[in-house]
Formats: sequence, C-alpha cells, structure tokens
Amino acid sequence: MLRQLLFRNQDRKQLIIAIVGSFLGITFLITSIHYLVKVNEFGCGNEILGPNTLIVQKKVNAGAIMGLAKTDFSESEIERIKKEKFISDVKPVISNNFDVSFQTDDPHVPYFRSDVFIQTVDPAFLDVKSDKWTWKEGDTVVPIILPRDFIVMLNTFMSASGIPQVSDELAKEIRFKFTIKNDDKKEFIAAKIIGFTNEVASILVPQSFMNYGNNNFALGADKKITQIMISGKESEFGLVEDYLTKHGLESKNSQMVVGKLKSIVSTLIVVILGISIIAVFVSCLVLIQYLQLLMSRNAYEVRTLIRIGYHPKLIIRAFFMYFMKIFGIIAVAGFLVFLVFKFFLDGILIAGGLSIGSSISLYGIVSLLFAYILFAFASYKTAQRGVMKEY
Amino acid sequence: MKIVLNKVMPFPLASIQHGETSIWGNEVVLEHGKKIMLNAASGKGKTTFTYTVTGLRTDYSGLISYDGRDVKSFSPDEWTDLRINKISTDFQDLQLFPTLTVKENLLLKNNLTNVYSESELRSMLDHLGIGDKWEQKCGLLSMGQQQRVAIIRALSQPFEWLIMDEPFSHLDEANTQLSLSLINQRANELNAGFVLTSLGDTHQFPYDYTLNL
Repeated sequence: MLRQLLFRNQDRKQLIIAIVGSFLGITFLITSIHYLVKVNEFGCGNEILGPNTLIVQKKVNAGAIMGLAKTDFSESEIERIKKEKFISDVKPVISNNFDVSFQTDDPHVPYFRSDVFIQTVDPAFLDVKSDKWTWKEGDTVVPIILPRDFIVMLNTFMSASGIPQVSDELAKEIRFKFTIKNDDKKEFIAAKIIGFTNEVASILVPQSFMNYGNNNFALGADKKITQIMISGKESEFGLVEDYLTKHGLESKNSQMVVGKLKSIVSTLIVVILGISIIAVFVSCLVLIQYLQLLMSRNAYEVRTLIRIGYHPKLIIRAFFMYFMKIFGIIAVAGFLVFLVFKFFLDGILIAGGLSIGSSISLYGIVSLLFAYILFAFASYKTAQRGVMKEY
Repeated sequence: MKIVLNKVMPFPLASIQHGETSIWGNEVVLEHGKKIMLNAASGKGKTTFTYTVTGLRTDYSGLISYDGRDVKSFSPDEWTDLRINKISTDFQDLQLFPTLTVKENLLLKNNLTNVYSESELRSMLDHLGIGDKWEQKCGLLSMGQQQRVAIIRALSQPFEWLIMDEPFSHLDEANTQLSLSLINQRANELNAGFVLTSLGDTHQFPYDYTLNL
C-alpha cells in the first residue's frame, strides 16, 4: 500500500527514457569491457612467449650479402632500442656455438635424429614458471620449448610409420635427448618438452644450458647476436612497427599483425568503453533526477506518513528498493543482451579466424556490480535526503 | 505521560498580545488521562499548539517536555515510537491521502499498529454514518465525511494523548456527538487523555479543564 501511495502518480515517459538510457549504457559497458579484456588476452596462454613480444632481426639486403652491411646487433644498438619509450624491454637471442643434435629416446616413439639449432632467450619473455625453466650443471634433464611446427612434423612422421598422432600434452611425455659435441668430446643430456611456441623456429633452452654448451663445446669465436627480443608496450604496436621499418629491422609478420590488430581494436574498444561509461553515468543521473522529482511530487505523502507514525527509514527503504529493482532489471536485461551480442560477435570473430576465449570476462561482471553499487549508494543518499527534508 | 509547556512562545506569535491565562508564555501541565478543551479565537495559535506539542514544529522559545524530557531531544526513532504508541493527532487539515480510498487510508495507519480488524474499522465508519464510503477515494468525500475518517484514523493506535485540532468544524451536532462519544469511549479504554481545540463550542462535554490561548 505504501508503494501504491508513493509510486502511483509517475511521469512514465521520463522514467522510460531514463531506463532505456541506462540499459544501453550498461549493455555497451559490459560488452566493451568484455571484448577489451578478451582482445588483450588474445594470443596469450597458448603461446609460451609473453604477450606483445617480437623476435626482430635486421633485413637482409644486397649490401648484407656482399658483406657491406652488418646483420648482427651491437651492445650500443640494443641499448638504443631499449631507450625508446614504447619498448618495455630488449634482450639478445643467444644461439649455440657448438654442434648439437636432437633425437627421440623413447621405446614408444620411432627413432629419429637431426642436427638442430638451439637458442635461448631471457626468461622474462617467456610465459613459463621459473621452477620449470632451470638447468644446472649435473642435471640430467634439460627443459626445452619446441617450435609448434615440430609437433606437426613429428605427427607426420608418426602417421607415416602407422603410429597414432600425439597431442601437445602427450608430446610433453616423450623422452628426447641432446647430443652435444666438439672434435674432442661428446655428451648426452635428456630433454623434456615443457611448452611450444609459434614464434621461434629453433629449440629454446635455458640460458645456463646454453652457457654450459658454449663454454665447454665451443667451436671457435663467439657467436654474433643476429636476433633480439623486443617487448612492446600495450596498445603501442603501431609505434614499434614504425620504428622497425625506419631502422631496417623486420619481424615475423604474424606477430606484427596480431600486435597491430590488438592495438587498433583495443583503442576502438577503449573509445566505446569511454562512451559507455559516460552513457551509464548520464543515464544514472537521469534516474537519480527522476527519483528527486518523484520525491518532490510526493513531499506531502512523505510528510504525512511520518506524521502518522511511519519511520523515515521505512519510507527511504521504499524509494530505495523501488529504484534498486528498476536498476536490477536494467542490469539483468543489459547482461542478457550482452550475451546475445556475445553469441553473434564471437561467431563473426570465429568465422574470421579470430578464436577468442568464450568465457565471460570477470571484469565485465565486476564493472556491472560496481555500477550497481554506485547507483545503490546514489539512490539511497538521494532518498535519504528527500525524506529527511520532510521530517 | 505528563506533558509540560514551560514558558513556550512560538516565534510567529511572539509579536501578538496574549492574555494572562494564555498557555503561551506560561507554565501549563497536561496531566495524564485528563480531557482538556483548548479554547481560542481564530489566529491565536491552536494549530501552532498542535504542531509544537507533537514535535512537528520546533520554532519556539521555552520548553516542552514529555515526562520531564525536552521534546527537542527526541531522535527520529523515539518520535516514531511516540507517534505510534503514545501520542495521536487529528489535524485540522486532516492530512488524509486523497488518491487513496477510505479503506486504504485507514489500513495505512492500522497496518502499523494492528489495533483493529477491517470489520472493526468498518463498524466504526458505520457508527459515524459513513460505512458506505469504505471503497471511495477520500478526495471525493465531503469535508465532514473526511473529518470522520480522520478521527477513526487517529483512534487506530494505542495512545496516552490524543491531540485534536478543530475535529468537528464541518460536522453537524448529531455527528459531532457521535464522534465525540466514540473518542471518549476509546480514551477511557486506554486510560488516555485528550486535548480538543475549539473556537468556543464545548459540545456539551464535561472536560476536566479548559485552557486558553
């Protein structure tokens, strides 16, 4: 009956405008936050190299072929790159300066052996737990990260041998071993796969193993640094690309494309997010203003209720709960429409070859909760002020 | 509950000349359970008395106390408790909700106190001659009918004091007597007192004493 008294005479048109505005704001807010998070997560997780990481080398041109231009990086060049504000870190990629071969060492897998090229990168660039990525002299097993192409090659080989193909996880159980040697000595060390990468064409090993090999089995002069790893800052891949072009550097194309796409899409989503936040803020203000209007229209009712014995808290609660229900409906409707958007947008992205995570971003839900709590606080304070004015 | 007005002077009435026996500026005691008539001409502050003594106005000098406690010190919680259980008011401007029916107006109060059943409320309306108005909107009733609804609403709670501001101003003598007898009966049941402001008409009721403004 209290609700009937307080909410009977309303300007429905204004209420509907405020509700529609809040609904659109909330829907775009949760959608933009979800896709901002998902786009930034894209490529992470499956890839053992950290996000926004590029392996960069100098472009090989006619001058380099004739020996007139250097293809290696000096210390000062690396330092200069490191100083650029859009680059968060630069580290050399160190290669083996000794003979190394890689072979299967497992009775369940057909034997094969090949001379290989191994490299090491700074652990800061790798998305692996540090306790898995260690090796010291005397250890019998060295952890390795394989190019994913290796699995493709292994499976082709297994298929041709009539053996079932293996998954990433199963491949990690296969025993391998390295043979490292020079003219005088030879050593066998077991190897265990701990991950895969799409971005590096060589086998990655811990730095300590590389040092051990280079110190004990080196073939001659120190190997030059021909590749470096660059970690670009979030959303600044455009600047990284400009820098690489200007300085005659190049990177694997897919890395740049993903980085650039992520930068562009992130920027667009940030713009949408900004508009959504403003829309939510403005529409919440309209709703709060509507609450103020409703309270001023009901000033007589509020005053009289207090005079006949209604506690101000009871009246505040009536207004508060009414608006919380409205905003609750808006939030639920916004979330449901977001799910519909997500269903279609995910479909479009998958059809375009961009398989982003299907789970709902926690940040989107947190933002929804945050908007709800903020609105709850504002509406409670408005209701309290309006009722106590009549007390 | 003893109500004391100690040298109370509402600010808007401070410039008016008040008589020696006026409650304004003197000490007045409203003794528990007494039936009091407050007699005054228009503009002397009958409504102001109703509002100040029930804590709805605080623009006065002096002191109003309930059982020795300054009413200005009561918290919203305490006023809510007092307005539900100890002091009931029948306002001159009635303060009904015109968009609600008689039933809704009465239940809005009775739901807080649970004093009467719906059938008891209806029989009170019957007693005052407006039983057929149960489902009618208050805004559509005559002033006399609305006054009777307001009286029943004021009785729909436990109280120690009932403050009535010209409650019969739109009633004929027969309905006034019916209403006054209902009020007296309820006050007796509760061992409560009342203050009835009037323009001078005693309605032939044996008041315990009369106050003047």
